Amino acid sequence: MARPARASSRVDAALLVACTLLALLAIVLPTPTRDAIAGVLQRTFAAPVFALQLRSERARTALAEREQVAARVDSLALRVVQLGQLEAENLRLRQLLALGHRVQRGFVPAEGLHGQGIGESHALLLTVGAKAGVVPRSAVVAPQGVVGLVTSVGNTTSQAILWSHPDFRVSAMSADGATFGIVTPHLSGNDEACRGAGEAACAGPERMLLEMRGVAFRDPLKPGTLIASSGLGGVFPRGILIGTVIGELKTTEQWSRTYLLRPSVRPQDVSNVMVLSPVLVTDNLAGMWDTAGAGAAVVARVVAAGDSLARRATADSAARQRVIDSTAAARLAADSVAAAAGVAPRDTTRVAPGVRRDTARRP
Amino acid sequence: MSWQKVARTALLFAFLVALHFTVRPLLSWRSQPDFLIVAILLAAVRVRPGVAALLGFGTGLLADALAPATFGVTAFALSVIGFTASWLKAVFFSDNVALHAFFFFVGKWAFDVLFILLERQRTFLEMAAQVALWSPLSAAQTALVGLVVLMLFRGMLEANQT
Repeated sequence: MARPARASSRVDAALLVACTLLALLAIVLPTPTRDAIAGVLQRTFAAPVFALQLRSERARTALAEREQVAARVDSLALRVVQLGQLEAENLRLRQLLALGHRVQRGFVPAEGLHGQGIGESHALLLTVGAKAGVVPRSAVVAPQGVVGLVTSVGNTTSQAILWSHPDFRVSAMSADGATFGIVTPHLSGNDEACRGAGEAACAGPERMLLEMRGVAFRDPLKPGTLIASSGLGGVFPRGILIGTVIGELKTTEQWSRTYLLRPSVRPQDVSNVMVLSPVLVTDNLAGMWDTAGAGAAVVARVVAAGDSLARRATADSAARQRVIDSTAAARLAADSVAAAAGVAPRDTTRVAPGVRRDTARRP
Repeated sequence: MSWQKVARTALLFAFLVALHFTVRPLLSWRSQPDFLIVAILLAAVRVRPGVAALLGFGTGLLADALAPATFGVTAFALSVIGFTASWLKAVFFSDNVALHAFFFFVGKWAFDVLFILLERQRTFLEMAAQVALWSPLSAAQTALVGLVVLMLFRGMLEANQT
């Protein structure tokens, strides 16, 4: 019994020695050989565990990257929102540019800042003042129409009231110039006309509507009629868009009518405006305002003008390059002719001989 | 050992090897339980030392194939651990939970020491930190996993001890 036990112990020891020797041999193998053997093993009997490990690694990486991906998506969504704001601002500025292109003279572009304090909800701080030529009682307009009126002027800033201010008045007329009245902010709500015109027409606070008073009884206005400034009163030039008729208001007046208007400009959307100079008071500005899509063509023209400028710049650059190339080619031809004639070409890069006078040295 | 028990042990061995290559990459901790050590030790105490050495060598080669930078090191360490475990089990140990835990702990620690000495890729301080801090932690985790495996598969592993 002792002999077989000793023999199997020897076999065990031999196996251990063989395994350790093989392992040590694997350790001291040159790296390319080791990599080759490892590659063969990966493709053959280690392939299943290799696939398992690969899948687990991918799963872990996916888990680890999940938060990063979510953060990236969040930041992209935020940027998309910001891009939307930028696009809206870009459109507003282009519309203002288009308006400037149409009016051509007598205006000062300005930024309108909304106050956050009590009593400032119907006022606007303008970033231009007397230095830019702004005077009190100047009309403030946006590409869509009337915004308000300058009330006080500082050197570099001005204060304006919006059309929603209780003191705001503008002499108005229908777009065809047949009906006249005075437009004021609509200070009382719950009117019959508003209810009659439907919920959609009067959605939101009715305070943000206008009313046109003093319209002659014989001149009824249909809903949807455009109302513009009449040019009377010496403040607003004729033809500036004010709003659209929603319906008639029932009042105690017997000989005149009052109409509720949807303003063409929403005060909360106003950020860039134009202050019109008094020199424009006698002008007719009709047809220059953005009704539904009317300004799009002009905006397109402004964009196209920008594109044509870029095209012209590219063409100029190409022409300059052609001139440079032709000059270089001519110089090369001249050099080759000189070389053929045995004359060394002139070294144009060498500095002219002679010592310059040291102008910095004191006498 | 009957062929059914051989088959069950082989199945558990394969399961632990699969766990090693699935769970560890998922966890990616600084110190991790070593399922290969648990598999080798559980199998080694049921076979002759020479077979345990062969088993360790084969399993080590499998692990080395996935880490060519230390090719051969795991094979060497697992051969020695497998042989020693099989020989020690035959000489000393009986079926005792605490002794098994100690067995797993020492097995893993010894494996780490052998591995670190042979891989020759660390500075002395790194080796010391690994052997004195991370390896014991990993060994403790391995002992815990080994005990859980023993508890779960007790019926399956009841086998004739060599």
